Amino acid sequence: MTAVRGVLGALGVGLAAYGAFLLLTRQEGPQVLDVALWFVVGVVLHDAVLAPLAGAVGWALPRVVPGPARAPVAAGLVVLLTVTLAAVPVLGRFGALPDNPTLLDRPYAAGWGVLAGLVTAAVVAGTVVRARRA
Amino acid sequence: MPTEAAFTSRLRSAAVAARVGAVLGVCFAVCFLTGLVSHWAQLPRPAVPFPTSPAWGYRVTQGLHVISGIACVPLLLVKLWSVQPRLLRPVPRGTRRRLLEVAERGSIGVLVAAAIFQLATGLANAARWYPWQDFSFRTTHFAVAWVAIGALVLHVAVKLPVIRAALGADVDDTALDRPTATRADALSRRGLLRTTWAAAGVAVLATAGSSVPWLRDVSVLGVRSGDGPQGVPINTSAERAGVRAAASDPAYRLEVVHGERTVLLTRADLAALPQRTETLPIACVEGWSASGTWGGVRLRDVLDLVDAPRRPHVVVTSLQESGPYRRTELPGNFADDDRTLLALELSGEPLTLDHGAPTRLIAPNRPGVLQTKWVTRLEVRA
Repeated sequence: MTAVRGVLGALGVGLAAYGAFLLLTRQEGPQVLDVALWFVVGVVLHDAVLAPLAGAVGWALPRVVPGPARAPVAAGLVVLLTVTLAAVPVLGRFGALPDNPTLLDRPYAAGWGVLAGLVTAAVVAGTVVRARRA
Repeated sequence: MPTEAAFTSRLRSAAVAARVGAVLGVCFAVCFLTGLVSHWAQLPRPAVPFPTSPAWGYRVTQGLHVISGIACVPLLLVKLWSVQPRLLRPVPRGTRRRLLEVAERGSIGVLVAAAIFQLATGLANAARWYPWQDFSFRTTHFAVAWVAIGALVLHVAVKLPVIRAALGADVDDTALDRPTATRADALSRRGLLRTTWAAAGVAVLATAGSSVPWLRDVSVLGVRSGDGPQGVPINTSAERAGVRAAASDPAYRLEVVHGERTVLLTRADLAALPQRTETLPIACVEGWSASGTWGGVRLRDVLDLVDAPRRPHVVVTSLQESGPYRRTELPGNFADDDRTLLALELSGEPLTLDHGAPTRLIAPNRPGVLQTKWVTRLEVRA
């Protein structure tokens, strides 16, 4: 396994170094700085905002939600919140253009509402099943 | 700041991290490989020609690129959550161990930053949202892809013994657990894993309809409904490209140039040439795609008017005055393909201005950005 790890490790360093080379040589200085800025923004948004929020929700859940609903609510929150995060660009319609009605052309708030409704229904169903079993 | 020991949930474990990580790794690999295909497809003069068949190839690879990227969002979030205590573990004593620790954390920092960056910029680009100031999306997304995949391979190399032990044992095995991670949560480990797969599945179903037609009705969060004038969506309108006047001007001529020979064609001249009909997809780099029935002139028939050689390299120029895709290069195998058209019609009607009237290029298995609209000049180069 040591040999496999050595080869994989060297390969990984090589691939990443090629990426760094592309990153540093194909664009001007200010553009590279902008990339660096967004690298930091992404990590800070996750580590300083999302991760503590997830921790807080995890802490509050057993204190707020009654026993049989806890697992379904936890599962429902994981599904709904992660999908919502992935959908931020369409929910905000930040890229919409007045001259192009074919772009971002769905009723996203309503769609999200349907999705949230389905997740809620699944959570309620899961809770009922668990409460009956108990 | 909490310490590693303060995280007591049994879920934050190597057992969960290895399983979610394995699926996440596969999704990243799919993203990387399909991304390389897309890069290859966009090279102006590829050393190995990009194939023209199957016509739907790019539609599938680029759809897969965006779909697997979206699946990565819940996977990455759960993966990071499951290993968060490791971020806060104490730095070991001793110079050598400390150096190794710093190197490993550095590589993980690069991996996490690159992974978040790729998913965030990819999602934003798919929705045509560019909140950053300076950098080029395409150049940067391509470069950081190598950084991310390299850091991922290195991470697997470093963690291989733990990954093997975790995947080889039962998911509830405690041998690899942190000493303080003993608290049972609402969800079991199996429950969390099932929830994670469900979240990735819901994310895919909610968005994939932009590239998978039969999912249109359930993809409530897709970037496009897939509808548009003549049944096909639009990326750049004639208004935005600034071609409204030039494209509707009766003085419009298509200029076809090969060396000393130049032929000028009006739209009526093009319509008088033998007309063909081809069903070909528009497959955008942003992942959405739509099939269209295009009517028009075979490009090869037009190139024959200036005696272009076989396998001609053709520079295609649009009426639009600026933008990186004003001029595109059409490799010889695409120029010679019988299905490559200068389209005059879509769905049996004359092309609308937004779809590229008077005429646009439509070729099989080609990224949408290179299916040049409002074509004004074709130049055959060696």
